[in-house]
Amino acid sequence: LQLKKSSLRTSVAAASISSAWLRCGDGFQNTSMLEKHYCKFSLDESEFIDWEKDSDSTDESDESEKDDRSLEISDTDSCTNLNSLPVQEENDELCKLAEISEYSSDNDYVEEVDMQATDPGFIKKLQSSFPSSVGEVAARPASDWLKSAQALLQTPKKQSGKASKTPEDSAKKRKLLRGGLAERLCRLQNRERSAISFWRHQCISDAKIPSDKSGVLIVKILEMFEECMIQVAICQQLEESPAIISSKDLVINTREPIIKVLFARETAAHLKSRPQDVIHIYPPWQKLLLKNADIPVIMNTYFSQKVLLSEHPETSKTQGPTKMLIRKNIVSLAQTFKLDDFDNKQPQESPDNQVRLIDLVLTPAFCKKLASRSLGAVNDSLLEMVESQGAVGWREVQVRVVIQRVYYLPAREGFRSQIQGNKPILFYRLCLLVQDAYGMFSEVQLQCLESAKDLEQYCKRWEGKFCCLAGMKILQRTTRGRALGLFSLIDSLWPPVVPVKVPGQSQDPEMMTTNLPPPSFCYVLTVQSGEIHMEVDEEERISDLYQPPTVRSLKEILQMSGCNERCSFWARVLYLRPQTKHSVPVNQREMLLFVTDFTLQSVVRGIPKVVAVSVTASCVLSTEIIEALNVASRFIFFKDALWGNGRIICVERTVLLLQKPLLCSAADADLSELPGPVKLDELDSTTQANSICAVRGTVVGVNESTAFSWPTCDRCGNGKLELYPQDSGLLYCSQCSEVVISPVLKMQLEVFLSCPSQSPSTVKVKV
Amino acid sequence: MEKPPGPCCGTGGTLPAVAEELLKEMRKAFRETSHGTDPFSFRLKFIFGPSAVPALDLVDQRSVTRVVSPSGRTAYQVLGSSGKLYTCYSSCHFCTCPAFGFTVLQKSESLLCKHILAVYLSQAMGACQELTVSEEQLTSILLAEEEDEG
Repeated sequence: LQLKKSSLRTSVAAASISSAWLRCGDGFQNTSMLEKHYCKFSLDESEFIDWEKDSDSTDESDESEKDDRSLEISDTDSCTNLNSLPVQEENDELCKLAEISEYSSDNDYVEEVDMQATDPGFIKKLQSSFPSSVGEVAARPASDWLKSAQALLQTPKKQSGKASKTPEDSAKKRKLLRGGLAERLCRLQNRERSAISFWRHQCISDAKIPSDKSGVLIVKILEMFEECMIQVAICQQLEESPAIISSKDLVINTREPIIKVLFARETAAHLKSRPQDVIHIYPPWQKLLLKNADIPVIMNTYFSQKVLLSEHPETSKTQGPTKMLIRKNIVSLAQTFKLDDFDNKQPQESPDNQVRLIDLVLTPAFCKKLASRSLGAVNDSLLEMVESQGAVGWREVQVRVVIQRVYYLPAREGFRSQIQGNKPILFYRLCLLVQDAYGMFSEVQLQCLESAKDLEQYCKRWEGKFCCLAGMKILQRTTRGRALGLFSLIDSLWPPVVPVKVPGQSQDPEMMTTNLPPPSFCYVLTVQSGEIHMEVDEEERISDLYQPPTVRSLKEILQMSGCNERCSFWARVLYLRPQTKHSVPVNQREMLLFVTDFTLQSVVRGIPKVVAVSVTASCVLSTEIIEALNVASRFIFFKDALWGNGRIICVERTVLLLQKPLLCSAADADLSELPGPVKLDELDSTTQANSICAVRGTVVGVNESTAFSWPTCDRCGNGKLELYPQDSGLLYCSQCSEVVISPVLKMQLEVFLSCPSQSPSTVKVKV
Repeated sequence: MEKPPGPCCGTGGTLPAVAEELLKEMRKAFRETSHGTDPFSFRLKFIFGPSAVPALDLVDQRSVTRVVSPSGRTAYQVLGSSGKLYTCYSSCHFCTCPAFGFTVLQKSESLLCKHILAVYLSQAMGACQELTVSEEQLTSILLAEEEDEG
């Protein structure tokens, strides 16, 4: 029923209305169906007016401010749309006729109405003809309808004034920002609206309950009240619709679950429900589980239908007009909304909705869930899935891929809003690098988590396994030039170890794929928020396509040519030196790790015994790794670090693990042990800055003038302690906001050593 | 169609909890992907009705500013579509716009006005502008309406 606004603005063209009926906006295929059953429509078809008015307001935001104003008569009254008029006229007219078979004459009437629509006198004529049917459900007195109808006809343009208006209303009508959230919502709601209106007509036309029962929620209303124009109904969820509904059926079966169903104003008006009514709620409805309440809340219940109590529509009509009193709840304004929650749990813990990532195994319950979700056949081409996005049924298409790598990426910083201030919090996004049977890669971004933990588990459980993806959204299509980091990782996995399929050609098992060029583009996909569409088959074998990281020795790596190559190694971290200050937020911390391995220790000369690996801020270290690094020196597996310009750096997509993965293609020697106690290079003229070395010598002097000591906080290491204001005998750490009971004393001393190897010069060591 | 409002008790208070949950979800969805908020904004529309789209529009236009003073007190200022600046309180739901006075206070027809909703949405999506002012300035912002009416 979305008649074009422009046509109305000018004038009601003769052919416009009836043909508009026939070619009606979104989805009305058969107008005869509509017209047949208008008897059942009440004047609450004014919903249409409401919506249409709202749709006007999609372009001009101040239009909807009128809706903010609650007028004595509902919004529907300020109908500024000529649309509504013929609809209502049709309604009344057909009601009067009330016979389905007289469609042809109706049609004629439509046209007649059409041509005379601009005549105010005509309205009066109509009005007088059907006084009773118009007032079928006295949502409004007929005279009001008449008044508004007249107003409509006289000023086809939008009415701009109604009661009290803020200065904002009178401001210029503003278009919504293109691509902005508001515009997107408008588009969504317009689509929904037409779907809803079409559906309502559908329902009326099949007087019986539609046979498609999937996803239908059947509820019986126990109690109703209203809060801020939303009708809240406490209901019982029924398994199936009761065959006979008798009003004597007041016994509440306590075993059936109680739910709260919210109905929007228009839906409530359409339903005119009262306690003991049975309502069918068709999908898509949404369920919300509140944290503190046991009762789930159902919303977006636009597609609701009341099960009629009796066979005769007329009798229900006569029952209809009695007004029902509803209690109205006043909501306190004193309670504000707290948006920050500090726990990692998803708000909806309902098993229907969420599966915790770590538990994504094929448990029997999960299998049942999979079976119930009607996913389509399994595909093996990512490209096909990507290209079919948006087409009908794409959501059900599953793609089977191999998980090559699992890692965390630093995600956008969020803000935790509090009364005191916005504290930035960091998020880490779990990602998978997957490859399909055609060799195409894709980075799949899963959920954002507040802490990067369990990465080792995910890697162990998922890498190399097959995985089915469904309903992914494309975040972007990135190219080599734009995502060097991602492509350096992809390059390390190219060429594929087994022949990959080539689209369009018969699969020749002997086809060599070494000649295929490495991919130049990659899709970044993301999981639809709130739903897991990824199933990892952990029980299955490792795919042949999987390329585990090639472990090399540090000596080999240092001698590698090439730039920006990914390399993996197993090394012992001797020392961690933070490169950024303590005060820098966690996500920007950089550090140097001094590492060594068997090969470096065994070398006599030529390459350093200890190498500095720099860890940049974009490399996400899991919490277990950070703890391990801080505690003691130990062996760490560096997966997919970057080698270039003579340096090894850990960037994004580099993963540090505590254990060597079982599947990596190991180098010859067992590199897990060092040949002996760690040896460091001796200090000499070639020693470079920022490297570790050993110095041996005799202390010959101390520079007393520069020696000093200072206390530091034993908790956080803060070197700037202050005097405690209340008691100047105590020290206070402002970072911990607490008194320091036992400060750690640090000293700085310059010591002169005389080293035999360096004689005659002396070495100054700052301790 | 409505009885005069009775005491708010027992089964009351559904909507605020739902609204709060919704805003939390939006915040979460926003973090995951900036396009992920669409299904949630649709729920927003369900709950908040006609305020939803204008509130989102205010967010798009970055109209919300969080005003802080050295003592830690805060208030929000929202630039309305007419160019008028409205003040929203942090500690309770209050806005100086006439729509709030009419729709929320007088008629209890809505939980929030579009400005307050815009404040929450801006918080959820990190779209608040920040402004630090002196104590005196914040005081005058909070008292401003009284002066105008006086």
